[in-house]
Amino acid sequence: MSVLSDIAAEVKDDVRAVAQTPVEAIKDARYTLDGIREGRVSAASVAKTAGVTAGAVVVVALLLFPLYWVAVGAFSGTGASLYSSSGIRLWPSDPTIRPFLWVVGDIIVPSYRITFGLGGYELFVQTPKLALLDVSNYGVTETSNFKKFFVNSLTVAIPTVLLAMSLIVPGAYALSRRKFIGRSKILYGYVLFTQIGGGLGVALLIALYALFVQYGFNDNKLALSAYYAATAVPFNTWLLKTYMDGIPVSYEEAAMMDGAPSWKIVTEIILPLSKAGLATVFIFTFLTGWTEFVVAQTLLSTDNYTLPVGLYSLVGRYSIPWARFSAFALTFAAPIMLIYLFAQRYIEGGLSFGGMEG
Amino acid sequence: MSVVDSAVERAKNTPVVTKEDAPLLLVLPGLFIFLAFMLFPIMYLVYLSFTNAEPATLFQGKEQWVGFANYVKVLTDGQFWNSMWVTWLFVGTSVALKVLVGIGVGLVVTGARVRGKRFMRALIIIPLGLPGIFTITIWRGIFSSAEFGLANQFLRLGGFQSVAWLSERWMAFVAYNVTEAWLAYPFMVIITVSALQDVSEELHEAAMIDGAGFFARFLHVTLPSIKRPVLFASILTAAASFQQFLIPYVFNQGGPSRTNELLIVYGYREAFRFQKYGEGAAIMLVAVLVIGAFMMLNVWKGKLADGVDDA
Repeated sequence: MSVLSDIAAEVKDDVRAVAQTPVEAIKDARYTLDGIREGRVSAASVAKTAGVTAGAVVVVALLLFPLYWVAVGAFSGTGASLYSSSGIRLWPSDPTIRPFLWVVGDIIVPSYRITFGLGGYELFVQTPKLALLDVSNYGVTETSNFKKFFVNSLTVAIPTVLLAMSLIVPGAYALSRRKFIGRSKILYGYVLFTQIGGGLGVALLIALYALFVQYGFNDNKLALSAYYAATAVPFNTWLLKTYMDGIPVSYEEAAMMDGAPSWKIVTEIILPLSKAGLATVFIFTFLTGWTEFVVAQTLLSTDNYTLPVGLYSLVGRYSIPWARFSAFALTFAAPIMLIYLFAQRYIEGGLSFGGMEG
Repeated sequence: MSVVDSAVERAKNTPVVTKEDAPLLLVLPGLFIFLAFMLFPIMYLVYLSFTNAEPATLFQGKEQWVGFANYVKVLTDGQFWNSMWVTWLFVGTSVALKVLVGIGVGLVVTGARVRGKRFMRALIIIPLGLPGIFTITIWRGIFSSAEFGLANQFLRLGGFQSVAWLSERWMAFVAYNVTEAWLAYPFMVIITVSALQDVSEELHEAAMIDGAGFFARFLHVTLPSIKRPVLFASILTAAASFQQFLIPYVFNQGGPSRTNELLIVYGYREAFRFQKYGEGAAIMLVAVLVIGAFMMLNVWKGKLADGVDDA
C-alpha cells in the first residue's frame, strides 16, 4: 500500500513541523532579545510586534471559542455545569469521560461456538468473550445508539465512494487528456453547479422524496448512496481533472514512443501520479454521505438513521442534554476535523480554482 | 441563398459525434447519473407544481392537474412575500457581515507584524471542514434561550439582560446571521487572504512615502486591489445565504410563528409539515429560478469557468 505509506510520511512531516513550532518560536524570541541587548532592534518595535500578535491571537481564539466550549461541555459531568450560574467556564468543573462512554457504549466481542463435524464426532471450539470496554464498570448504564448509526453511515458511505469513484475517475481522465464534442460545455456545467447549486438538494427534495416513495426506494440506503454519488460527481470530477492537468504530457509521450497501449499509460502513469488527487476525491466522496443531513433525515426511518440524523435526534424540542450531545458531536466530528486539517492544502487548491487566480 | 441551401449549410456546421469522440463515453456515465438525480427531479418538480398533489393523492396516482392555481395561491399569499422579504434581508445582512468579517480577519492574519501567521491561518479555517449539522446544532446551544447559554453569558459579562434568542423574531434573525457568518468566514478568509497577498508592495510603499496612514492606504491601495475577488466571493456566498435551510430549520423551524421562514424553509414546511406538495413545489421552483439567476450573474460578473477553455 504505497498510498498509505505516502500519507503516513506526509502526516509525519506535519506532526514534526507542528512539534517544532515552539522550539522555533523560542529561538526567534531569544534572537530578538539578543538584538535588543545589542541595540540592533528597537524595543518599541518589538513591543509593537508582540502587541499586534497578541491581538491576532485573541481574534483567532474568539473565532474558535465555540469549538473549545463544546469540548469543555463534553468533558463535564451530567451536563448541568454548562448552564450553571458561575459564568463562562474555561475548564470543566468536574472533568469526566462518562459522556464519551455513554456515546461509545460497550465494546464486547461475544463468545462464539464454532462447531465442526469430524468422522461422526462433533468438535467445537468456544471462543472467549472479549470485553474490550465494559462501560457499566464506570457507572454508565444506558448508552447511545452511536454504534448503530455508525454502521448505518458506513453502509451508506462505502457504496457512495465505490460508485462515485468509478464514475469520477474515467470522467476526469477523459476531460483532462482527451478532446471530444461537448467537453467544455460539460466542464462549464460542472463548475457552475459546484459553485452555486450546492443547496439545490433541499429545493428538489419534494420531487426526490415523491419519486423515491413511488419507486419504493425511500428508506433504502443503497438508493441514498446513489443520490450522494450523483451529487458528488461535478465537484470531484473537476478537482481530479485539474489535478491530472498538472501531470506533464511528456511522460505519456515517452511511453507512447515505447509503444505502450493507452490503457497501460493510464494504469502505469496517470493513476500512480494522481495518488494525492485520488486520495482527496476519496475523502470528499466519503464525507458527502457521512455528513449529509437533510436528505437522509427525510428519506430514512429511525432504524436506518445515519450519524448526522442521529446527532440531530438528540436535540430535543426544548432542551439539549448538553454533555452527552457535545460528546456525541465531537466523536462524530473530530475524525473529520483531523482528516480535514491534513487535506487542507488540497482543499485550498480546489477552492481557488477558476476566476480566483486569473 | 435558398432555404434548402442554408439548411444544408447549418447541417454542415452542426457538430456531430464522430469516432474521434469516443472518450465522451468515459464522461457520460457520471453525467447521466448526475442528471438523473438533478435534472429529472427538477422536471418532476415542475409537474408537481401544476397539480394538487398531497401525500393522500400522489401516492395513489390520483393527483389532478390544476394549472397555475398553485402559483396564484402562493403569489397572493402574504406568508410567501414575508418569506421572500426575510430571505433577501438575510442575504443582504449576512453577506455584509461575512464580507466585513472576512476582510477583517484576512487583514489580521496577513498583518506584517503578526508572528505565526501560517499557523493561525491553518487553525482559523478549521470550521470549513466541520459537518454543517454539527456546527449548526452547536450554535443552537450557544443561542439557547435558557438563562445560561453561551450568548447570554457573554451578554451578562457586558452587563446586559439575557435574551430569549430563538423566540423573539429579530433576536432569532440576529442569531441566524451570526451563525451564517461563522459558517462562511473560512471561505471568505481564504479568498481575501489570497487576494491580499497579490496587493503590490510597491504601491503600499509609495503611499507610505506620500504620508498615507493605515486607513488611507487600506481605502486607496488595498481595497481597489482586492475588490474583484471579494465581489466574486460575495456573489457565491450570497447564493449560499439565499439557499440557507439548516440554520432556521435547526434553530426554531423558521419561527417564531413562521416569521423567519427563509424561502427554502417555507417551501419545505409547506410540503412536509402541511402536506401541500403542489404548493411546496411551486415555491421551490421560484427559488430554483432565483438560483439560476445567481448562476447567470456569476457567468456575467465572475470569470468563473475561465480555466475550462485553456486547460
